[in-house]
Amino acid sequence: MVGSEKQGRPRLQRMPVARLKGGYNIGLAGRPVSRVVDLAVPGRLVLPLVSRCFRFKDIRVEEGARVSAWTVLATDPKRFSAPLIAAYGGTVRLDEIAGHIVLESLHGTLSSGSSGSDRDAQAGARDGSRGAGASGGSPADIRDQLVTLGAWQFITDARTDLPVDPAGTAKAIIVSTIHLEPFVASAEALLHGRLDSFVRGLEYLHELTEGGIVHLAVADDAGFVTDLAALVVHHSWCRFHTVTPRYPFGHPLLILRRLELGRDSDRPAWATRTAGVLAIERALSSGAPSVERIIALGGPAVSEPVHLKAVIGYPVDEILQNRLCQDDVRVINGGIFTGSDVPREQSGLDVECEGLTILSELRKRHMLAFARPGLWRNSYGRTFVSRLCQSGPAERLNTTLGGELRACVSCGQCMDVCPVGILPSVIHKFLHADEIDEVERMRVDLCIECGLCSLVCPSKIELLSDMRDARRLIREEHEVQEKLEAKAKREEEKRLAAKEARAAAEAGA
Amino acid sequence: MKLILALLEKTRPLFQKGGRFTALKPIYDAVDTSLFSPLARTSRAPHVRDPLDTKRYMSTVIIAVAPCLLAAVHFFGLRVLAMVLVSYAAGGAVEVLLAVFKKDEISEGLLVTGILFPLILPPGLPLWMVALGSAFGVLVGKELFGGTGRNLFNPALIGRVFLALSYPKAMSSGWIEPGQGLVGRLLEYATDAVTMATPLAAAKSGTWAALPDLFFGNVTGSVGETSALAVLMGGAFLLIIGIANWRTVAAMLGTFVIVTAGIYGGDPHAIIWHLLSGGLLFGTFFMATDPVSSPIMNSAKWVYGAIIGIATALIRNFTGYVEGVMFAILLGNIFAPVLDELFVTAHVRRLREEG
Repeated sequence: MVGSEKQGRPRLQRMPVARLKGGYNIGLAGRPVSRVVDLAVPGRLVLPLVSRCFRFKDIRVEEGARVSAWTVLATDPKRFSAPLIAAYGGTVRLDEIAGHIVLESLHGTLSSGSSGSDRDAQAGARDGSRGAGASGGSPADIRDQLVTLGAWQFITDARTDLPVDPAGTAKAIIVSTIHLEPFVASAEALLHGRLDSFVRGLEYLHELTEGGIVHLAVADDAGFVTDLAALVVHHSWCRFHTVTPRYPFGHPLLILRRLELGRDSDRPAWATRTAGVLAIERALSSGAPSVERIIALGGPAVSEPVHLKAVIGYPVDEILQNRLCQDDVRVINGGIFTGSDVPREQSGLDVECEGLTILSELRKRHMLAFARPGLWRNSYGRTFVSRLCQSGPAERLNTTLGGELRACVSCGQCMDVCPVGILPSVIHKFLHADEIDEVERMRVDLCIECGLCSLVCPSKIELLSDMRDARRLIREEHEVQEKLEAKAKREEEKRLAAKEARAAAEAGA
Repeated sequence: MKLILALLEKTRPLFQKGGRFTALKPIYDAVDTSLFSPLARTSRAPHVRDPLDTKRYMSTVIIAVAPCLLAAVHFFGLRVLAMVLVSYAAGGAVEVLLAVFKKDEISEGLLVTGILFPLILPPGLPLWMVALGSAFGVLVGKELFGGTGRNLFNPALIGRVFLALSYPKAMSSGWIEPGQGLVGRLLEYATDAVTMATPLAAAKSGTWAALPDLFFGNVTGSVGETSALAVLMGGAFLLIIGIANWRTVAAMLGTFVIVTAGIYGGDPHAIIWHLLSGGLLFGTFFMATDPVSSPIMNSAKWVYGAIIGIATALIRNFTGYVEGVMFAILLGNIFAPVLDELFVTAHVRRLREEG
């Protein structure tokens, strides 16, 4: 374990390689460089009320109201009242774009000390009541403070990948700095010049979990491995794990299972990623709300793939202006595997945004494409000539399905690529035969929804959707079963009570 | 190219709902998507997909059998090409008719079955039998099970078994003497060629073909199987590009060598002779590795290959049949679902321990 120093070099714990299987790094063109570009103040803010995990239904402002910077515009009543915070002051427009709060005539600036680097970390908070610092209060107080500042949203339950209740507790927290999905913000970009803040953030996490172990996963080829290891090596509560950088090995749930922390369901584990640690550090050190995001802007249709520093609600079309090499594109919030497409004109960055990936839409048909040697094709299998000449430029993949939907031919590629070792093609067949019990037996619950099976399937079967459907059906079935059981139990109790009453009445007679 | 595309676009409405030839939509789609990559786009995550599709997947087998086909034309004449065409036409007709009837797509599995089937027939077989066998193989071997991906047995082998049982005489007498010299029968149609016994049949009566002849294919036998060199070239290609599973091949050849060695007391000549003769190599690389009729788990493929390898050696040496690959592979196909059940269950149990 880390914590002892050997010959001046920190001892790194390599994740047992044998236990990581499958995975695949797709060579998508347009990987953002680590440079972070500061975006100018936008013309307006378009704040989505819905993101992957949050539904900001409880709107706290009125149409036409003038609000100041850092106002809470809305909260999610179902998720510990997580706030949606305005980065700038402005005039509220509630009905301009459905599902969004629009802020016009922006005024005020981000706090002077908010650029997030170490130099600014100690800059005073604007609001005196905030910025107490982690050591100032009990863990419960600190958590409340994090919720208010919009930084608690970064902490998820490692098992469900959903935000956790701040009232809970965890024995361990997994921090993954491995962001391999093309394209979300890379750890290199996020941590550049912020390693000290990051380590301070880890300390805060350790305090937040009331002495829990912090498991830090780092890609073994990351430029900052040695520096970071040297910074955490003296902390006995921090375990440092290096992992092969292959998608989706950085997924917290996968790391949780590989560390064999997953089985003990009585001891919840939390998870967060690089941006989460930095946001928590910033919130606790400076008391500033977490309204800034460093996002990746990448993909084959981006002329200069780079990282951007933007605020929540930054309009997508303003970001993309003059940054695309073509117009007919699909804008994806997040990476190509798990992201969802967003309407370019009608949206802004949501609170969970880690990147925008821009793909060109397929418009052109190629003659005899299936029979071409494929010098530049980017394929998981080995049927293209490109396998022989790795040096060629990356293919500019677009949104083509690459074929027609066909029946499964059991080629086995989905099983080979699956990082959790389930059998997607078998689950697909059972699911479509309506054999839910068999699907459940096939352990579809282990799926982390990485999307690799759908990517590699030559029959173009929507395996990821099938896995999601299967999990939903099983969940529903369990709910129905529980309800039936509860009902049966109630009836049994009623029957027993009636019987007793009758017996009592007879005895009385 | 642009002209063809324009023509396709112009005729598209005719085949769509309400068009004049709606019933023929499967044919139109097959032509359309074969000539030009389809415009289908991803509608959900992942937004990018691998460029490998079933068309390419299946086409690789055609490339792999190309050396066998060339060798076959060299040794048995241009008749071989006629057999391939007839096989494609008959199998294709069944496939297309059923696709039109079921309003389904024409599946690419035919690309493989259509070319593999004539290659496992005697080179002198009447063409109408080729047609009948191909149609039977596609209809009974594949479509009755629900089409490509759902068949239990290798359709080409079903077609061959059907012919072997229905026309035993024709199926055991069409062994044309291979063409000699550099040109061989490249310029002949070869219908009146002399027939002779296959090496395996001759071996039963004590005449053993020379090893170089077996290696290069200068012997008689089924159309595509005689040249071990050509089969190995195609087989290596399939293994390298990962379409054939090496575990099946390794298990099948490995167990075959072990059992044959046991039978012949470890005589290396006999082992190599048996490896190169008959349809063993062709069946190993092109038939047993069919993913649809194999078990899906990699671990199960070892057992599957072993069953076929052992059965082939036993049938060849201890039964009334001179060649056993066909029955052995069908036997393996029968075992595949059972092996799947066993190995999938074991695999899932391991997953449970993982949490």
